[in-house]
Amino acid sequence: MPENTLALISFVLTLMVFSYLLGDLPLIRHLYRIAVYIFIGTSAAFTLIVGYESLLLPFWEDVQNPATSWTALGAQADQLIFFTGLLFAALLLLKPVARLGWLTNSILAVVVVMGAAVGVVGALRGTLLPLLEATARLPALDADLGSLLESLLVLLGTLTALFSFHYQATASDGGGYGLGKVFRTIGKALIVTALGAIYASTILSSLTILTERIAFLFQYGA
Amino acid sequence: MNRRSRVGASLATITGFLVGITAVLSLLLGDNPALFGDGAGADALAQNFALPGAVLLRLLVIVLALSIVFGIANLLILHTRRVVSGRLMSGVLLASFAGTIGWHITQRGDLSLLETIQLPIESALAALLCVTLVAGGARILTRRSDIWGILFVLVVVVVLLGSLPLPELAPIAALSDWLLRIPVQAGARAILLGIALGSIVVGVRALLGQDRSLRG
Repeated sequence: MPENTLALISFVLTLMVFSYLLGDLPLIRHLYRIAVYIFIGTSAAFTLIVGYESLLLPFWEDVQNPATSWTALGAQADQLIFFTGLLFAALLLLKPVARLGWLTNSILAVVVVMGAAVGVVGALRGTLLPLLEATARLPALDADLGSLLESLLVLLGTLTALFSFHYQATASDGGGYGLGKVFRTIGKALIVTALGAIYASTILSSLTILTERIAFLFQYGA
Repeated sequence: MNRRSRVGASLATITGFLVGITAVLSLLLGDNPALFGDGAGADALAQNFALPGAVLLRLLVIVLALSIVFGIANLLILHTRRVVSGRLMSGVLLASFAGTIGWHITQRGDLSLLETIQLPIESALAALLCVTLVAGGARILTRRSDIWGILFVLVVVVVLLGSLPLPELAPIAALSDWLLRIPVQAGARAILLGIALGSIVVGVRALLGQDRSLRG
């Protein structure tokens, strides 16, 4: 397809999405919906293509080739794993059959629990331990006073913000002016500040994309 | 709940628990020979520990990949029914799906469809986000004009102004830099720690069979 035609399609689709800003006008309102439906259709197709070509097809080729084995267990184990996966997925389709609930629930349990196991290990190894280590790590004693103070402030800030999540922090102080309330207020202020900064960063990212899209529209329009 | 359902739920819970504990131990301990001492067999032991986790992960990936295929098939069936019942907008979805698959089969390796349709719509939708976020930020002050709403909007304004490359705004840029370095870092760490702790609690609940979906 000629490059100009492709650019024209991009141009029209961009305008169709931006028509959302015009509000609920007759005819115009359908343009945005058409663009979104096209987007869902192409997304589904690309997801299917990637799922097939990047996951299922390599696994299938792996199974078919007896010379290579993915695990130390041998090629037959690869076949067993692949076909067990296929069987599990096929059996999940029988979920509406009430009499087979014991079987489909057990397979669903394996899938959910595996997801949970990956989540637990990921949260522990990827977030909790590195963050705790980074938060609790104090700078070297020969570091300048500024960086020492900064580290201490971040540590105290993290603790107060975590304290503001705690149930008792809201329930026990009963609206008084205790130390708990002071910690909770500081913690809440830090959480609101962090959320505000994240919000601003999202605005900045989308603003960059908006600028690029507007530049494309002007470039193509010219 | 009748006897059959109770047996089914127990079976699902026991299966889930055994698989989950095996996977967690294998993923945590496997491929980490340092945990098994300095002996000659430490490497082999670590690999053996990693094996069940790797096998279960591959099984999960295959089941999830096929679940995505089933999900897409369900989407297509649903929209075909909608087209039959006269809702023509679903026809656009089906046509774009068929067109993309057809393009991929006939023009192997050509990514121009991705660059022409997918990327412009994605970027335009992300660009629209800017307008809705700014409108939402302005609405905060009218809907919730307490100290927290004002603080939130102030931080947003300071960070946005601080990102501008104008020498006149150097003090605001310095304030924004300080905000990002200390209060935002502390708050973001607490949020991430909260998310991690929440994920672990939800994961452990699922491992122990407390999740409703496992009990049927």
